[in-house]
Amino acid sequence: MAASVRGKQAAALKRMLNFNAPQLKNTAAEPVWKVLIYDRCGQDIISPLLAVKELREMGITLHLLLHSDRDPIPDVPAIYFVMPTEENIDRICQDLRSQLYESYYLNFISAISRSKLEDIASAALSANAITQVTKVFDQYLNFITLEDDMFILSNQNKELISYHAINKPDIMDTEMEAIMDTIVDSLFCFFVTLGAVPIIRCPRGNAAEMVAVKLDKKLRENLRDARNSLFTGDNMGAGQFSFQRPLFVLADRNLDLATPLHHTWTYQALIHDVLDFHLNRVSMDESVGSEASPAGARPKKKNKKSYDLTAADMFWLKHKGSPFPEVAESVQEELDTYRAQEDEVKRLKSIMGLEGEDEGAISSISMSDNTAKLTSAVSSLPELLEKKRLIDLHTNVATAVLDHIKSRKLDVYFEYEEKLMSKSTLDKSLLDIISDPDAGTPEDKMRLFLIFYITALQPTSETDLDQYKKALLDTGCDLSPVNYIKQWKAFTKIAATPSNYGNSGVKPMGLFSRVMNSGSQFVMEGVKNLVLKQHNLPVTRILDNLMEMKSNPETDDYRYFDPKMLRGSESSIPRNKNPFQEAIVFVVGGGNYIEYQNLVDYTKAKPGKRVLYGCSELFNAGQFIKQLSSLGQK
Amino acid sequence: MNTRRCHGPRNSQEGVNLGPAQTQSPLIQLQDPQLTVPSLRPPAPLVDISNMSVKDRTNEFQSVCRSLQGRQNGVQSSKPALSAIRQHSDFNLLAKSIGKDLSNTFAKLEKLTILAKRKSLFDDNAVEIEELTYIVKQDINCLNKQIAQLQGLVRARQSQNGIHLQTHSSTIVVSLQSKLASMSNDFKSVLEVRSANLKEQKSRIDPFSQAPASSFHIHTSNFSNSLLMQDDSKKTAEVSIDFRASQQLQLINKQDSYIQSRADTMQNIETTIVELGSIFQQLAHMVKEQEETAEVREKWEDDRETEIIKLLVEMLCP
Repeated sequence: MAASVRGKQAAALKRMLNFNAPQLKNTAAEPVWKVLIYDRCGQDIISPLLAVKELREMGITLHLLLHSDRDPIPDVPAIYFVMPTEENIDRICQDLRSQLYESYYLNFISAISRSKLEDIASAALSANAITQVTKVFDQYLNFITLEDDMFILSNQNKELISYHAINKPDIMDTEMEAIMDTIVDSLFCFFVTLGAVPIIRCPRGNAAEMVAVKLDKKLRENLRDARNSLFTGDNMGAGQFSFQRPLFVLADRNLDLATPLHHTWTYQALIHDVLDFHLNRVSMDESVGSEASPAGARPKKKNKKSYDLTAADMFWLKHKGSPFPEVAESVQEELDTYRAQEDEVKRLKSIMGLEGEDEGAISSISMSDNTAKLTSAVSSLPELLEKKRLIDLHTNVATAVLDHIKSRKLDVYFEYEEKLMSKSTLDKSLLDIISDPDAGTPEDKMRLFLIFYITALQPTSETDLDQYKKALLDTGCDLSPVNYIKQWKAFTKIAATPSNYGNSGVKPMGLFSRVMNSGSQFVMEGVKNLVLKQHNLPVTRILDNLMEMKSNPETDDYRYFDPKMLRGSESSIPRNKNPFQEAIVFVVGGGNYIEYQNLVDYTKAKPGKRVLYGCSELFNAGQFIKQLSSLGQK
Repeated sequence: MNTRRCHGPRNSQEGVNLGPAQTQSPLIQLQDPQLTVPSLRPPAPLVDISNMSVKDRTNEFQSVCRSLQGRQNGVQSSKPALSAIRQHSDFNLLAKSIGKDLSNTFAKLEKLTILAKRKSLFDDNAVEIEELTYIVKQDINCLNKQIAQLQGLVRARQSQNGIHLQTHSSTIVVSLQSKLASMSNDFKSVLEVRSANLKEQKSRIDPFSQAPASSFHIHTSNFSNSLLMQDDSKKTAEVSIDFRASQQLQLINKQDSYIQSRADTMQNIETTIVELGSIFQQLAHMVKEQEETAEVREKWEDDRETEIIKLLVEMLCP
């Protein structure tokens, strides 16, 4: 897995856009124009990976949704990238009959069934367009890569495989089967694209185990089928520096319900928590100067602005895992550097301007030298513009986040929750915070209470519970999540070993003097500058145990699957004694950026190890609470 | 396809002739191996998909089609065969020929780049470089005109084309123009490299220079306005000589022609840079036009390329 999964998926997409032929580096090749047709799934997969500009460079002149009105464009090949669903197949057949394009390259995101293939064939036959269907491919790309080391399953219809769907009490066997099949299909595509057959470990007795069993079966079947195996050839060996197979850890969301509710302090996770952040795109209202007041009337309709946070953004790459005050400071630094560069360009411009008017007056300055300077200034212009755009972007985003922090006092919540999760002494009582009208929305308070309830070592007494419930009701909370958590605590029986969140310390470091300077955009007055200490969340801990082959009561009971072994999937004794160098963690039931960031931090501390993070869906605390609510109402 | 001959035939073109035109099937085109300078194209290798993480279902599809066809044998389809009918509108033909010429010119430019990079005093193919420079410049101008023609076609069709077709056509035009612009940029930097090398050569020969030549002054007066020449005129009226000549007369003749060629090159470079500015301007216009035609916008936003290009143009054109 020397190349990241993002690199591999992007390369697979580009290859597909090149008519499934390997790409030639030569720019002297003649340009070939094509049209790209995708469905919403395809769009979700492509958009985090390839920008419109890159599509244009590959010769794509138009990119259109499958289910839209499309004019015929004769003489041009069309590349389709869609899921093999009933409606999509129907629409493709309709396109064939309407003779929209010159030739058709059909690429299905996951494998198309034989019967659907026959449907297309008969439609092509009746339209006499068989020769126009030039290629049909199964792309095995049914997952979305958001980061170099993070992926999620499909975004469309995610409520079908959500935490709620998996854990609802009235679920039927058929529904569960369907959910498992969907998840396993995506995971299978993931491993095909990665080009590796993993060793699978999973806990017993929950959805994660079901996924593991099915995945093992599917991988095994594919490996046995020598003719059609997707794991042979160069895809496996070439480019891989380590010959060891990766470890695949399946975790269930029910193992740790506190982390999705946690208030966080790192940039990317904060953006996901407080703003509308979706598939690497932030959407927010354009602020017109004044800050949003927490108790004010609804503001007038403002423009919605979207920003893409991509891998090309150096600032983002560097700071997406940084604590927020550090981010604020760095934006300020970037702004200062940019202003210095801008002044340099302006100075040059004025010299040139002067030169033009007063010929010969400044003959002491060498002409060729100046043209060289001008050329370099001109060529550095796009860079400068881009830098300015990114600084603006991060200023706006960070300001929006800061507004939320200040109005909801998120720093207080963060600190308190950290203390709760690490069993440190609390300086304030929970009731105080809940009853405090200034701090946080009802949702924030519910989150805090739930974390308290989940991480409490001793079961809370009924009277205490009622007290809390009353306080929560007073602030306007809906209490259904509490009902669900009560049930969860009962059946998970984790009371025996409550999830240990490690010993984290949160040290307030006083106010940042630099950021308080008058020229700064970010007035962090009243916001504590909290510094995170590294601690391992439950998922990270489990990974650590399994990856380093440590013995631990928590993970000793995990099942062991090796799809490459002939028989004996029941053996729980790991064959492999060496620690793994590469691992993939997948959380069935949903994950979030806090877990992801924790894994990233863990990996940074261990050079030479690579960890990928995946989850069946990505939700922030607000969305998770909604799911808990509807579960609690049943 | 006719090979482009906007200018007189030059035998140096042969080295970069890329062989006969191929058919229009995109799949075959893409199976072409590297288009290097040698004239013959080796036969296209079969695409190797054994290392790809995808499954090719084409054969399966075709066999399904055949079996279905077999079943329907009695029923003749009333629709005529579609595949043979390809409407080659003039837009498409022109776009394809421009594309082909672009790749040809690019190959020539690559050769020029290799030649210009040479720094040796003795192996200086000045003549060949001159010719190639001239050819490439003519090619670029020709392409520029063709693309403008293409754009005219697109504008003319604006009313009758559907919006998708219009966007498709204008995207092609912009893409061709930006390819041309980037190629022109490369050309400009090659010329700069060349002039830098010439200067360096001159500085190496200067210590060995002998009699000054009177003819030099004539040339300087012609080029006094040339930006690039001003630099040289500041220095003394030393002249660089052709080191290979042994006799004085030959010396003067050679040095005349050398100075002439250098001066020509300098002026060429200058005029080319100015012309390139106009190409960028055209590109900016086209891009602006494309912005104005309603574009099908999906989830992705447009990038800032267009703004950057406009700003570049402002900076380049006084």
